[in-house]
Amino acid sequence: MPSFIKSLAVAAAVSSLGLGATQAQDALPDLAGRTIVAVTENAYVPLNFADPATGEGIGLEYDLFNEIAKRLNAKVDWQLSSWDVMIQAVRDGQFEVGMDGITINDERRSQVDFSDSYLTSQQLMLVRADETRFTDAATFAADASFLVGAQAGTTNFYVAVYNVLDGDEANPRIKLFDTFGTSVAALQAGDVDTVLMDQTSADGYIGANPGAFKVIGEPLGTEDFGFIFTPGSDLVAPVNAALAQIKADGTMEKLQQKWFYEYNAAQ
Amino acid sequence: MTYRPRQPSIFSRTPWWLLAIGLLFVLGLWAITNDTGYSQIFRALSGGVLTTIWVTLVAFCAATLIGLLVALARTSGNRILREVATFYVEIIRGIPVLVFLFYVAFVGAPAMVGAVNWLLQPFDTTITVRQFDLVWRAIVALTICYSAFIAEIFRAGIESVDRGQLEAARSLGLSRWKCFRLVTFPQALRTILPPLANDFVSMIKDSALVSALGVQDITQLGKVYSSGTFLFFETYNVVAFLYLTMTISLSLLVRLLERYLRDNAR
Repeated sequence: MPSFIKSLAVAAAVSSLGLGATQAQDALPDLAGRTIVAVTENAYVPLNFADPATGEGIGLEYDLFNEIAKRLNAKVDWQLSSWDVMIQAVRDGQFEVGMDGITINDERRSQVDFSDSYLTSQQLMLVRADETRFTDAATFAADASFLVGAQAGTTNFYVAVYNVLDGDEANPRIKLFDTFGTSVAALQAGDVDTVLMDQTSADGYIGANPGAFKVIGEPLGTEDFGFIFTPGSDLVAPVNAALAQIKADGTMEKLQQKWFYEYNAAQ
Repeated sequence: MTYRPRQPSIFSRTPWWLLAIGLLFVLGLWAITNDTGYSQIFRALSGGVLTTIWVTLVAFCAATLIGLLVALARTSGNRILREVATFYVEIIRGIPVLVFLFYVAFVGAPAMVGAVNWLLQPFDTTITVRQFDLVWRAIVALTICYSAFIAEIFRAGIESVDRGQLEAARSLGLSRWKCFRLVTFPQALRTILPPLANDFVSMIKDSALVSALGVQDITQLGKVYSSGTFLFFETYNVVAFLYLTMTISLSLLVRLLERYLRDNAR
């Protein structure tokens, strides 16, 4: 395969990172041009979302998995579905790999296979711009009348339960909404006092609603994100090997720099 | 050859669909009592049943009341009332329930709280949006949406009454209100009741949408449980089982009601 075609197949992700087309691929398994059916949702800035300008799916997970596939000599067939459907469909083998900022936990391991962690999420507290009653997670947790909005089973839910509140998943101080957007609407309306999100999303919401929100406190959370695979998938080992290499050679750092700091969601 | 209708046998008279439903129900019951996975899901979701019933009942009663008033306005002699009521029905019927829920919850509620606070200014007290519970916002949204559908059911019922009846009543010297109460409405009720009961069944299903606002109904508890455990298929089986138990038993009651009304029609 000529190198120029190869670099085309990898798409803009890598070229924008300024990676050379010749990576050390000796140590990695060769999937011999196999097509991997991957699924995501395009609803999680900056991991996977639709580019406002083109409607194309972009984000850190796209770039990362494209890079993994490239190093394993495989192609990616990207598909979209909603969160509920995605996990069930990966479990059934309709898609081979799924990603949507999915937190690795033991209960879920009995349903799907996880890759190693590719990201440790850092959550920030987004609050209304005029918030003065609390300044960080500790002062928030101290007053039982302060409420947090989250989506069930997502990173911001787990961080709210285990890093901000008392570890009780049924804590009435957590108000569960369907989507990220609904939680933020509830924050703006005054139904909840904070919503946890990563830097990029927070910047996006602050940029899109000038004067409405601000971020307080230190980054929280130690949620590890992993790719999910159909149980017993032969892709787990090769993906983990490529992932280890990507972490070791600094590519992962570049990707995080690109999507968490350089990309502006509010453009 | 002459055609002889066959005597209906016990076999041809049996409602097999009902037996199949009964069998499914027994299967479901067996699963949630004997299978550890399913019984755990059932326990996690059972708390939502009361919320679903409560939201539906309150919203349905309120929607019936508003629907009746709107239908009266739509069939009244006053042109302005008719126009306003028609406008209301057309606009509300054209908006998806889910979209309307968001409108009421995050646009209507803060605006209403702002208005109340403006009125309270002289008394030096304020209320917060939070005091207007999301459950109530969901109920308000469902009420308004369904009031438009129910208004149409009432209107069709009122208009189905023969005009001669009304003319006879008027010529006997009854007032407009007495005409409606004693002549039109009792006859209209026969046309109104079955579709109204069917709307109640639809509303049970549509109440699942309130989960989008985080109301802890059956669907929301199902979403929470499944997204934590990744047991989507199994959880939604239990969700469907709970809804079906309610909707099918009510549908059967509606059938009985229809039969009763038909047999007692004079």
